Amino acid sequence: MKKFLLVIPMMFALAIAVGGCATKGDLEEAQAREKAIAAKADQAAMDAEEAKMAADEAILKANEAIERAEEAEQRAIERERIAAEKERIAEEKAQKADEAFQQSMKK
Amino acid sequence: MLPFFRYKLHGYMIIYRMINRSPMPNRFYLTILLMFILGLPGCANMQGFMNESLPFPVYPADQIERNNFVVEKDDDVLGRLAAIRLQNGDTLPDIARHFSLGINTVSSANPGIDLWVPEAGERILLPLSFILPDTPRKGIVINLAAMRLFHFNGNGERLAVATYPVGVGTSERPTPMGKMYISRKKFRPTWYVPASIAEDHRKKGDPLPRAVPPGPLNPLGEHALYLSRSTYLIHGTNKPASIGLRATNGCIRLYPEDVERLFENTPVKTPVKIVNQPYLVGQRDGIVYLEAHPPFEKSGTANWKKIFAKLKNIEKKSGSALDWKKVKQVVLEARGFPLPISKSPDGSEMQMAKPIKVWHPHKLYGQPEIPEFTTDAWYVLAATLRDKVDAQRLAAIIRHQGPSIPARVLTKGDRHRVLAGPYNNKRAAKDAAKRLKIDLELDGVLFKT
Repeated sequence: MKKFLLVIPMMFALAIAVGGCATKGDLEEAQAREKAIAAKADQAAMDAEEAKMAADEAILKANEAIERAEEAEQRAIERERIAAEKERIAEEKAQKADEAFQQSMKK
Repeated sequence: MLPFFRYKLHGYMIIYRMINRSPMPNRFYLTILLMFILGLPGCANMQGFMNESLPFPVYPADQIERNNFVVEKDDDVLGRLAAIRLQNGDTLPDIARHFSLGINTVSSANPGIDLWVPEAGERILLPLSFILPDTPRKGIVINLAAMRLFHFNGNGERLAVATYPVGVGTSERPTPMGKMYISRKKFRPTWYVPASIAEDHRKKGDPLPRAVPPGPLNPLGEHALYLSRSTYLIHGTNKPASIGLRATNGCIRLYPEDVERLFENTPVKTPVKIVNQPYLVGQRDGIVYLEAHPPFEKSGTANWKKIFAKLKNIEKKSGSALDWKKVKQVVLEARGFPLPISKSPDGSEMQMAKPIKVWHPHKLYGQPEIPEFTTDAWYVLAATLRDKVDAQRLAAIIRHQGPSIPARVLTKGDRHRVLAGPYNNKRAAKDAAKRLKIDLELDGVLFKT
């Protein structure tokens, strides 16, 4: 009776252990899944790399565009400054001429 | 108007017959109609009609009143604003003289316009409207700040006023203010050079004789009215472009054509009052106007206080509010002609009256001509400039000297040469070079073509 009582838990344990062992098919499936995951990871890494490169390129282009815009703005400011300077010089010249004229109108 | 109605009736008949399918070809009637329309402006009695009916009438320059006005007893505002389009070669001093205005008022009324080289086609405001100074309306009144003389005639309800622009004394030698009278008049006066002026000229290397006889070199011009305040005169000038400037030694200068009329119409003993009123208030047709001129040194605040009190009084008496924002703007801008400062009935800002348009005359009165370039003549090379406008400006200034020095610009490549001349002989060219040196500090070079 004691032996019988010992055998029953052992049988249970065996059954559980046998249930826990993977079959060959399971193993292959697992390996395939692992490979697929690895491939996906690689792809994701590549995509990420490409996206990063694209982003870097976009940033580069954006920076170039900003630089161009800034240069254009600088040129516009410079043009404006030169125009204002020319206007100032022209006004000064006109004023000087008027002053000389007024002086010449005295007796 | 009868002939006009006859034309009009004839026109209607033509149109009627065209509509009613006349046996005559339509082209015939269209031709007649076209001829009729084109002929209308040619009719002498149609010109007035055209001016009245066109949305923007344009007046010939000689129809614009510049000097003689009649005012009702209570009126303070004379004349009306006008506008003209500039033509190539015009200068503001030429426009000013043609319309008997001083260069100060034309310049203030048109800020930002080049005096000497304005753009052709530019519209110029002619400030031919004035507020009478706040003085008794008797004899001659001269307002220094406005650089304008008023000559009152008559004492009744309607007053005849003749007004002329003037040139006045500099800040160093200002025109004296106060009451005086015309002590004597002289046609073709001799100028006895005052010691102070003789000294100035001696310092400049241009010694003057003790007396300058009548002629083109006499700065008094052809007419002189001597004031009771000794050594001061109202006179003409050999420098017409100086009218509207503070350029005299205390005398009052007028354009030669204006002083001639004043001379004829002013008897000896006529009272003269000289005032300095940069801010003038007047009323016309129930509207209050303010005229502001740049005040002479240190005279602005005191004058402004007086005018401020006057405006407050007007506001209180009339019971209608003034546009104080506009008052401030008029004073700050000092454009030299009357602007409305009353508030509109709806409380909005009152706009100035639309200036009437004036045709450009064929020739501006007194405008110095640009001389033709001739060979076998003497010239003075006054300057060589890279900027064409600078060269044109200098040539215009030289032409507007008194007496006028002929001058033009000769362009070759990017060089613009300002030449004074032509002169028949070397001596005349030398005299011109001397005047350029003394008056404009230009070192001219003589040459013969």
